[in-house]
Amino acid sequence: MSAAPHLPLAGLEIFGQAIEFIFNGQEAPTVSGKVGGLDQVLDLTARHLEVTALAMGLALIVALPAGLVLGHYGRGELVAVAAGNAGRALPELAIIAFMAAAIGVGLLNVTIALAVLAVPPILTNTFVAVRQVDRGAVDAARGMGMTAREVITRVELPLAVPTIMSGVRTSTINVVATATIAPLAGVLTLGDFILARNVYGDDGVLAGAMLVALLALTLELALAGLQRLLTSPGLRDATTATA
Amino acid sequence: MAGPVQHDGGSSGAAKAAAVRYDHVTKRYPGQEEPALTDLDLEVPAGEICVLVGPSGCGKTTAMRMVNRTVEITEGDIFVGDTSVREREPARLRRETGYVIQQVGLFPHRTVADNVATVPQLLGWDAKRTAARVEELLALVGLERELAGRYPAQLSGGQQQRVGVARALAADPPVMLMDEPFGAIDPITRERLQNEFLRLQGEIRKTILFVTHDIDEAIKMGDRVAVLKAGGRLAQYATPAELLMDPADEFVEDFVGADRALKRLALMRVSDIDLWKAPLAFVGQATSEVRAKLNGAEVPHALLVDSDRRPIGWLSERDLSADVVPERADSPPDPVLDLDDVMRDALADLLRSGTQYAPVTDAEGRIAGVLSVEIISEFLNSPRALSEEHAATERPHD
Amino acid sequence: MTDAPQLAQVVIHERTGESCIAQNKVFCPGWAIDNFDRYVDPALQQVVLVVVSVALGFAIAFALALLAHRRRWLVPPLIGVTGVFYTIPSLAFFFLLIPISGRGRDTAIIALTAYTLQIIFRNIMAGLANVPREVKDAGRGMGLTERQLLWRVELPLALPEIIAGLRVATVSTVALATLAAFAGGGGLGEEILSNIDFKTGIVIAGGLAILMAFAFDVILIGIQRLLTPWRRAVPA
Repeated sequence: MSAAPHLPLAGLEIFGQAIEFIFNGQEAPTVSGKVGGLDQVLDLTARHLEVTALAMGLALIVALPAGLVLGHYGRGELVAVAAGNAGRALPELAIIAFMAAAIGVGLLNVTIALAVLAVPPILTNTFVAVRQVDRGAVDAARGMGMTAREVITRVELPLAVPTIMSGVRTSTINVVATATIAPLAGVLTLGDFILARNVYGDDGVLAGAMLVALLALTLELALAGLQRLLTSPGLRDATTATA
Repeated sequence: MAGPVQHDGGSSGAAKAAAVRYDHVTKRYPGQEEPALTDLDLEVPAGEICVLVGPSGCGKTTAMRMVNRTVEITEGDIFVGDTSVREREPARLRRETGYVIQQVGLFPHRTVADNVATVPQLLGWDAKRTAARVEELLALVGLERELAGRYPAQLSGGQQQRVGVARALAADPPVMLMDEPFGAIDPITRERLQNEFLRLQGEIRKTILFVTHDIDEAIKMGDRVAVLKAGGRLAQYATPAELLMDPADEFVEDFVGADRALKRLALMRVSDIDLWKAPLAFVGQATSEVRAKLNGAEVPHALLVDSDRRPIGWLSERDLSADVVPERADSPPDPVLDLDDVMRDALADLLRSGTQYAPVTDAEGRIAGVLSVEIISEFLNSPRALSEEHAATERPHD
Repeated sequence: MTDAPQLAQVVIHERTGESCIAQNKVFCPGWAIDNFDRYVDPALQQVVLVVVSVALGFAIAFALALLAHRRRWLVPPLIGVTGVFYTIPSLAFFFLLIPISGRGRDTAIIALTAYTLQIIFRNIMAGLANVPREVKDAGRGMGLTERQLLWRVELPLALPEIIAGLRVATVSTVALATLAAFAGGGGLGEEILSNIDFKTGIVIAGGLAILMAFAFDVILIGIQRLLTPWRRAVPA
């Protein structure tokens, strides 16, 4: 492709071809046989979602309790907050490439690498959310005889939901984005359409970009809806976003 | 269009103070049945403090804010000097009106000096003139020069309030608006600030509209007091003495409070009263002489004073058992009152300390007499006091 | 595919010898020292990408914030639109743009700029919202016009929050700019992509990116300290 910008009309045509690729597939440019088509698209989408879900699950298991406990006891603020800042600075390409080169390819490794990227926003947001819970409510709860565990689960967690969910959403988007380059480490996701141009052709590349964007936006909307559901009506107006 | 500002006779330096006149002013907020202010009509003479007082919601703050148009007038007009505020451009009008609010609202990101210099800078004064004025004002409100470079967060509440007042005075406005300026301060600092402000006003003589919900503050601070009731109606507009003697109706009477007699003490100074005399003792004097003086004295205790007749302390029996008056006295002289103190504050000090007698000193710290609770109550009930106060229409500090 | 043996042939270092490179160890200090300069240009490219994108993002977000300051109803739609840019993974964004703006630095900058918009915009709005009411009341009452109030009082007081947003945006952009190589925008990602198995190379490039992010963060913190002297003042 040249570096010169294309005319808008030509651009529209290209998008049309990409859509064609998604639904009906095309002749592969370099190898024989068909590529694209709804089956392949759905398959790769499923793989993309699968690795995202696995990584998020792992990250949540690690980061959520850690953030809740640290926040409850007010310890480890430096670590929790620094983790958030550091996490933002991690270049995904380097992480994936290094992991592939040094440890090995495969679903497990990619999942772990993605989980590592997903942990910081969840940890930081959970910690901050718990710290910011109304001290009065916590005192009252303790005074009523709740154990630490009960205080965490019945008071702090529900009140911390909006900020925590905000962190989960940020994390998820990050993971979806990084899963796009997972093919570099042997896990085929929608990113494969983009990265393997010789296999899928230019139309495939564009189709991949559109699909990834669509997937991310859909997930974001779904999570926003989930956040609304999980947030107690009394808290609905609370604003979010720390990470 | 620039509004002309009156030149008033005023005292020291500040040449201008303008009268403020409310001309049948009404304020209606859309969607509300009752007006916030109903047909307010009063005149504040130039150089006087008019206190707007009343229960919350009575429209006192609204009335004050209409003078600098931070609230707009619905009906009627307000005149500063001879000019209607409705004819002035709001931003220009406000730069010529001092404005002090309860939470002060100092700019946290600017130093004390920069805060005070805000309006002069807006008016385009040159740097030199502004700096001189800032220095002058800080001294006027009793702040040390070193504070000029500090930030508001580094000041105490009382200090912040002083900066707020200095900031309002910076461009030498003819009118000052003050909305519960001492409301957020602790009572002890508040009293001090009130006294200092009255002393300041004695020097600069501005026309001031002062809002408070505290009737005691109103009586203490105001040359005239406007009592407002619900719906922004004026219940009474009179001097503090008239208010206490002659409440216009039941509302005013209730609002002023049943303890009107005690409130009258806010209108008097210690110097207004005949003080008792305590026998004075000097260091090294023969105690026999002191004992002789104690016989039949008005105050049955001897006060140890230095060679300049400044009180050192009260002498006890043990002190006087020696041949010669000792250098130190057993009891401290506190509370030491000043002839200039407002009577109500003096009484409060007496009661707080639990002592029966308090030495009163003059401006140089020399003993002038002794005050006691008995003297005060005797005086309050004397026929002379009642007739004197009826004639009193002036502030104690005049 | 690995260039490692060829690289080793090009550079023979006494200390580590061919073996470190030939074995493709995680980090070969000798090789790193010798070949550091091949990372300089990509690093500088990345710096340019980041600085330009964040500056542009700030300019746009600031303009939007000024617009929305007096028209609150604009805030939700603006957050929505900028949110879309934030949610779309930058790799996808690059390739969606390429048909329109072609491969190269411009495409990378457009995508990276778009990504920063929401966080900066939100922080500017939050900073302005946190200015205490009585400070604004006093300012207006003293005769400041709305415009003077905004520029002399509200914006200075909103600075800490604005810079906090810039910090997040900058650090994120440094990490994302590593992907710019996919769009032909250069940067350290280029080095990684061209030698995808070369561990030492990945470590160096990745490490440089992380250091760069950290350096930008520190610089911005320093700028905030400089611009907000009143925050350093010890309270009474």
